[in-house]
Amino acid sequence: MKRLGVIAFVVVAACTSCTSGSSSSGASGGNDGPSVTQLGEPTEAVGKDLMLALGQAKNLHHRAKVLMADGDVAGAIASVRQILTLRFPAGAPEADDVRADARALLAKLLVGQGQLDEALRTVDEGLAEASRDSFFVANLYTVEGEVREARAAKLAGADATAERHAALEAFDKSLKIDEALQKKLAAEGK
Amino acid sequence: MPANDHDDPDDMLDGPIPDVDAEPTAAERAHARAFADLVDKTLAGRTPPAMSADDRALLEVATVIRAASGQVELATSKQRSLVEGALAQAIGGRSPAASLGGAIPIAVAARRRWLPWTVAGASTAVAAAAVIALWLGVGARREPPAAAQHRAVATVRSPDELIGPIAREQAGDASDRVDELFADRLDGYRAELYGGAP
Repeated sequence: MKRLGVIAFVVVAACTSCTSGSSSSGASGGNDGPSVTQLGEPTEAVGKDLMLALGQAKNLHHRAKVLMADGDVAGAIASVRQILTLRFPAGAPEADDVRADARALLAKLLVGQGQLDEALRTVDEGLAEASRDSFFVANLYTVEGEVREARAAKLAGADATAERHAALEAFDKSLKIDEALQKKLAAEGK
Repeated sequence: MPANDHDDPDDMLDGPIPDVDAEPTAAERAHARAFADLVDKTLAGRTPPAMSADDRALLEVATVIRAASGQVELATSKQRSLVEGALAQAIGGRSPAASLGGAIPIAVAARRRWLPWTVAGASTAVAAAAVIALWLGVGARREPPAAAQHRAVATVRSPDELIGPIAREQAGDASDRVDELFADRLDGYRAELYGGAP
């Protein structure tokens, strides 16, 4: 029995050492390539659920384009609104960005339809939902500026001036976010 | 030669049966002494090569009676041979009858007795190690270096890195940006799924 114990110990110890070696190399695998950003593990970052949500957003955008080409702006607006209802994996940064971009397009479509208040509300919802600064949030501020420009054009006197000032503030915020992000990316060598 | 063997008083096997209380005759005493010498020589291993049929029959009976009384002791070599033969037969080796003069030594028999247990034990240990290795993920598919590099490139880029600043005239081009984001993530997804470059 002592001999058997020795054999079992040697075999298990050999396998365990193999395991620890492979796991340690796997854990340090990130050192071989570029450093990982805030994204989680690749399997979490690029999973089936994320691809499904992105694929649906892609199709809905193209559907909206076809509808707009066909002159059906209302249909295009409805198609873009559907993007806001898509379910993304929890914590996926793509979710915020895709929704922000959809709201930016939606606001522009609403402006084209003369629905300025609805356009402004759409932008405000997107900004309120944003959890971090991004180029997509900056784009939302840009669209807010456009919406407020359009609103100012409909107003007169002090209201128009205030709306134009608000538009300028929105453009400034967009620029600041863009500058800050580009500096950050440049500092990280990206 | 008497006409009737049963009438010869010196014939111990076929002669008349003497009375229980009768005194032994001189012939009987001489015959008893000679037979006693014969038995002693036989026990000493010096059996005479020739003897009468009567003496041989009596000697065989005497040997059987002595053996049945438990007084027989085998030679040391014979005892060892029989014990080893019995052990060999007990562990599945050749029977002593099949291995005349070739009893399996004790050491060999011991090895043969341990061999099946050693093989079984080693097999069990290997099986246990395999289960542990499976549990710990040893031997899992290793990702090719090219795939790992591709996946890293495809997935570490955030949407901000991928898209970059959005110009005002492109503010409404969300469709193009989703296409780009989808294509980038699809590369990473394929690399993750298939372990190779798409």
